[in-house]
Amino acid sequence: MSRRVLLGVLVPGLVILHFLLHLGLGLGRVAPDLLTMALLLAAREVGMGPAGALGFFFGLLEDAFSMLAFGANTLALTLVGILGSRTRDLLVGDSLLFLFLYLAGGKLLRDLLYWVAAGEGVREPFLNAVLVEGTLSAAYVAALGLVLFLPFGGREALR
Amino acid sequence: MASYTDAPDEGRGRRDLSMAAFFFLCSVVVFYLPGGVQERIAAGLRSSVLRPFIVTQELLSRARLRAEDAAELQAQLDSMAARIVSQAPLVADHRRLHELLDLHERAPLSFVPASVIRPGTAGSESMLLLDVGSAAGVSPGDPVIMRDGRVGLVGVIREVRQGTSLGIDWSHPDFRASAMSADGEIYGMVEPRRGIFREEDRLILDGTPFSETLPVGTVVTTSGLGGVYPRGIPIGTVQGLAEAEAGWRKAYWVRPVVETGSVTHVLVLLDDDVTEDLMDLFREEEGS
Repeated sequence: MSRRVLLGVLVPGLVILHFLLHLGLGLGRVAPDLLTMALLLAAREVGMGPAGALGFFFGLLEDAFSMLAFGANTLALTLVGILGSRTRDLLVGDSLLFLFLYLAGGKLLRDLLYWVAAGEGVREPFLNAVLVEGTLSAAYVAALGLVLFLPFGGREALR
Repeated sequence: MASYTDAPDEGRGRRDLSMAAFFFLCSVVVFYLPGGVQERIAAGLRSSVLRPFIVTQELLSRARLRAEDAAELQAQLDSMAARIVSQAPLVADHRRLHELLDLHERAPLSFVPASVIRPGTAGSESMLLLDVGSAAGVSPGDPVIMRDGRVGLVGVIREVRQGTSLGIDWSHPDFRASAMSADGEIYGMVEPRRGIFREEDRLILDGTPFSETLPVGTVVTTSGLGGVYPRGIPIGTVQGLAEAEAGWRKAYWVRPVVETGSVTHVLVLLDDDVTEDLMDLFREEEGS
């Protein structure tokens, strides 16, 4: 997939779809976390700085409805953006398995960082929030990431 | 995906690192900003970038309301009319007693109906975004009750804008309500307790006298103490004893009347009359 298609079409499309599903249609947890997926995909294409900026902006949007722990999403997504961008120097892979693990790991990290930042009074128990729901939603996001890549050329898109 | 583009040159790499550090620092600052500033940022985003999505849910909510079964609405109207008719003698008795005891008539509660918008984003679990705001007379501290099906306490308004307002429901960690048993005999304070899963969230009635016992199934309502919630709004029913401190107090699990996930349409109770009464008293005292 070309850099232009990914950054110009797929990432903004995922962000709009995320808020349309979560906010517009009010689906809540039923809808996947497309915001994190968009950030993780973009982070592989841009440097640490722009990835951090993107994570910061996405986090602020998510936090606009957070009365419980404002800033926790911003902190989590900024770090995920920076670390996601960092992976391209450390990990090289063009297989669908790599994409699955990258998206699932990124989403799980985002949930873990949010859980840590949210604070004790607000967060749910670790077992539920990260291990159960976090793992399930990470698998959901990763599987959807693979499905989304198919129209863009499937395996070839990774090259 | 692969983007295994050429590695950035050294200068660009350093610039990237500084930019990443800057945004990380910004995210930490945002996290520790005072609540008022955080709210201004959030309100700015809600009324600009996120506005189209909020409007979408408002439109969907209205469409859903319009699609409600007319037969069901008619049945609700009929049962309400029947209840009003059956209570007519009570109203007459009540008025007569007031006259006999020379009591003032209590100011009637005024309210505005509102649709609930659920953000569905991380961290917004106990929040309610309502499509009414200061233009409709809503102000912070106004109680929110449910009008769909059973009547019960949903939560309270926290922030108000021109056309929207933001509230918390009973599952929010900051929620508290002065409560009593429906017969007005036992008083306590209701607060939320988290379950392992959000679906297990429930309320606890704390601070009731150790010597008194609340049977399972007792209805718990607001007591009116503290001035936030008017007296008599159903909160939930007692499920059982939660904890007891010997000779001091008892706490009971309370199953809420309103399941927060099912809330779509609510009523916001306005305190205009109470405020006006207080202002009249204040003016009278100043005049004398």
